[in-house]
Amino acid sequence: MKKRLSQIISTLLLGTLLVTGCSSEGSAPATSTQTATPSTEASAPAASKVQDIKDGINLATDLSKLPEAAAKRTDTFIAGLTEPGGVFNPFFYHNGYDGNVTSAIFESLVDVDATGKPVPKLAEKWDVSPDQLTYTFHLRPNLKFSDGSPLTAEDVAFTLTILHDKTYDGETDIFVASIKGGREYKEGKANTIEGIKVIDPQTIQITTEKVNAKSLVLLGGQVLSKAYYGKEYKPGDLEYLRTLHGKPLGAGPYKFEAYIPGQEVRYLANEHYYAGKPQVEHFIYKTTEGDALQFIQTGEMDYNSFTVNSDNIEQLQELGYVNINLYTSSAYSYIKFNHSKPFFKDKRVRQAFIYGLDRQKILDLTYQGYAQVANVPISPVSWAYTEDVNPYAYNPEKAKQLLDEAGWKPGADGIREKDGQKLIVHYYTTKGKLGEVLIPIAKENYKELGIQFEAEMMDYNAVLARTEKGDHDLASFSTTMLIDPDDGVDAFSTKKGKSGFTGTNGYSNAKVDELLEAGLSTLDIEKRKAIYKDLYKELSDDPPYIFLGYRKILSAHNGKIKGLEPNPFTGISTSLPGIRIE
Amino acid sequence: MTSYFLKRVFYMALTLFGASILIFFLYALTPGDFVDTSPKLTAERKLELKAMYGLDKPVVERYFIWMKNAIQGDFGYSLQYQQPVMSLLNDYIWNSFLLAITSTFFTWVIAISIGVLSAARQHSWFDALVTIGVFAAMSLPVFFVGLLFIKLFAVDAKLFPAGGMMMIGSKETGLAYAWDVVQHMFLPVTVLTLLSVGTLTRYFRTNMLEVIQQDFVRTARAKGLKEKVVLHKHALRNALLPAITLLGFELPALFGGAIITEKIFNWPGVGQLYMQAFSVRDYPLLMGFTMFLAILTVIGNLSADLLYRVADPRVRLK
Repeated sequence: MKKRLSQIISTLLLGTLLVTGCSSEGSAPATSTQTATPSTEASAPAASKVQDIKDGINLATDLSKLPEAAAKRTDTFIAGLTEPGGVFNPFFYHNGYDGNVTSAIFESLVDVDATGKPVPKLAEKWDVSPDQLTYTFHLRPNLKFSDGSPLTAEDVAFTLTILHDKTYDGETDIFVASIKGGREYKEGKANTIEGIKVIDPQTIQITTEKVNAKSLVLLGGQVLSKAYYGKEYKPGDLEYLRTLHGKPLGAGPYKFEAYIPGQEVRYLANEHYYAGKPQVEHFIYKTTEGDALQFIQTGEMDYNSFTVNSDNIEQLQELGYVNINLYTSSAYSYIKFNHSKPFFKDKRVRQAFIYGLDRQKILDLTYQGYAQVANVPISPVSWAYTEDVNPYAYNPEKAKQLLDEAGWKPGADGIREKDGQKLIVHYYTTKGKLGEVLIPIAKENYKELGIQFEAEMMDYNAVLARTEKGDHDLASFSTTMLIDPDDGVDAFSTKKGKSGFTGTNGYSNAKVDELLEAGLSTLDIEKRKAIYKDLYKELSDDPPYIFLGYRKILSAHNGKIKGLEPNPFTGISTSLPGIRIE
Repeated sequence: MTSYFLKRVFYMALTLFGASILIFFLYALTPGDFVDTSPKLTAERKLELKAMYGLDKPVVERYFIWMKNAIQGDFGYSLQYQQPVMSLLNDYIWNSFLLAITSTFFTWVIAISIGVLSAARQHSWFDALVTIGVFAAMSLPVFFVGLLFIKLFAVDAKLFPAGGMMMIGSKETGLAYAWDVVQHMFLPVTVLTLLSVGTLTRYFRTNMLEVIQQDFVRTARAKGLKEKVVLHKHALRNALLPAITLLGFELPALFGGAIITEKIFNWPGVGQLYMQAFSVRDYPLLMGFTMFLAILTVIGNLSADLLYRVADPRVRLK
């Protein structure tokens, strides 16, 4: 599921507000995990009643228990979703849940598979010029929007154009693709974008100025209808689009029927969908907060995601009629160092902080085994993942040795000192389970090393604001869903990472900069794999963050629904066209 | 009276002005703004967006821009929902109101009846039972009762829906729709009523007890009036007088939304909207809504004072 960290955090905060009894039923797709690698002994889930859950889809054991309400429903699929906000335009929403809503309505030219590799959707195929700067997308023949109007290269060109408009305030950053003439258009120096050429209704050619491996998926995004969204368009004025946010029109598997604020979004199967009309006529996203499990229990809802823990898994298993899906999230969590602090300039100190922290224990206690220690800034689900780096297994002796080498000697009170400065670090985190577990363990771990660890829990926005100012020494975060491996590392670039959300507050490594550039400068996945492997090794040696973990995502759907395979990058949207109800 | 009214309106405006300053600066000074909370944006893009939303201007200037628009009835666009704040509130606030007004109605009816009865029979077993019951109801947390009710009445007994405001995908209209909503209201209204009836019962009981001991009640009794008439006509009327003030204070609460209850029962109310807006620092929505509540509070106060004067002519307002 596409969702923003802030929402995860707020869901978690609300969850804590309602105390555990309720938060265990929270619909947060907030991830969590069982350890995938058998090498870690400590990963057994806390509750013994939970039967073994495999990664992937664990089929329902007893469909006869299906509640009447669910059994009766033959032409409607109902999925749960935390509060969508009503901006149903893929390029304008600011609420990740609206992204889930729009992805059923709008189809993109290029999508990604379960490992993050591009796959064709509305574009039958694409060519990239030998210099990797020009992309030619070949659209499938006879594409139509859900109102029956044709979808052509003009619509693709229009979509890309408004993303360059100077009043565009959405979160898609089209400038990452550096389309030729894009800046000029934004600044009002040109009436059209030079790099966008409609060859014929089925072919569009886009010329970029810089090779970027992320451009393909970005350029091949969802398509807006020019006839519908472009009627009143004048450069420099996108105000009029607001009135259309609540009346979306796209070429996705489903068309929009109705939105009832705070309650549900209704869809109808789109007979003009390129891959054929979906078999299930009605689809509904029902707004859920704390009651997802209840709706599954009463049979009113077919699918929802849950916080991963043994309680939830056990309850779902007891139902018997649900397929339980468990998969690793594409996000990772981390503790960032403030690299502008003198003691973190020495990489041996940073290494010591990693060796000296029992990450396995923290994850096991927080996620009851449904999480795996992270050592690279990319999830195991991605094609770029590798385990060929220093695993930094918990090793306080090694940590002490590194601190000694770096010149931090234990002082009279047991706290290490160097040049008259004591090794006291301040750590900021948000309220929540992870912080509650991490703080006491880290305090103890670091005390053993002779480091005084001062922790403070605060509101997510406060953590953000204070780390941006560089107040912290350490602070915890989690990334959003990451599709391209570059998304997980771009903050480490000297050009980017001074501050900001994913920033590092001053991490600088010339080799990393070089590899980051290299990683984006080819579209060949095999070449990129090798580059990222080198990059991860370098990052492991000169760590910008303490990588913490990859959590798992737990969801469940009733066994009557066939063909639903949640994907760590796109959630259920990829499966939507092929769902059947038996 | 007129001059009193005018004076009050003037003070109201002054109060609201103060409230608006407080509200605005409280939100403006909370760390992080809407753009900052978005993790995907580059630093450069963030600056552009801040400029677009006017978040880069000095706080004081932002206040005056907001103030100027607000006076003209324009509370701006919600950043997250991209809709005018007022129309957005309109989508949610009436759902909260429906829940609140129903439970308030039941709370008052029940609290008054129990309060009067238990005061009339002070020290009886009924009074003792009520006192215990009231304390029990007051000490239970709402999420506990809510979840228990859902488990008992919705999931196990299947008597009522587990949550929401209507059956999922329902296309009923008219009476059938109303009936659907009533069914969905049953559990949340029961929980809200149960939990708020306690305080109010104690309030009425104490008021009644006080009034009953007064001379005019004794006089009424001495005149040989029936106990029923004494209680309901003489005592109750006087005991209810202070309740008018209370009712005035309830006005903002009717629209404020019961955040936890709405969340547990998945009720599409304004409480959830507010929490969501707060987590992403959607200032226009937050300020618009808080200001709306401030206005209601002031109006509630004023109408309580005016009503009090009507109800009890001894009160002279100056």
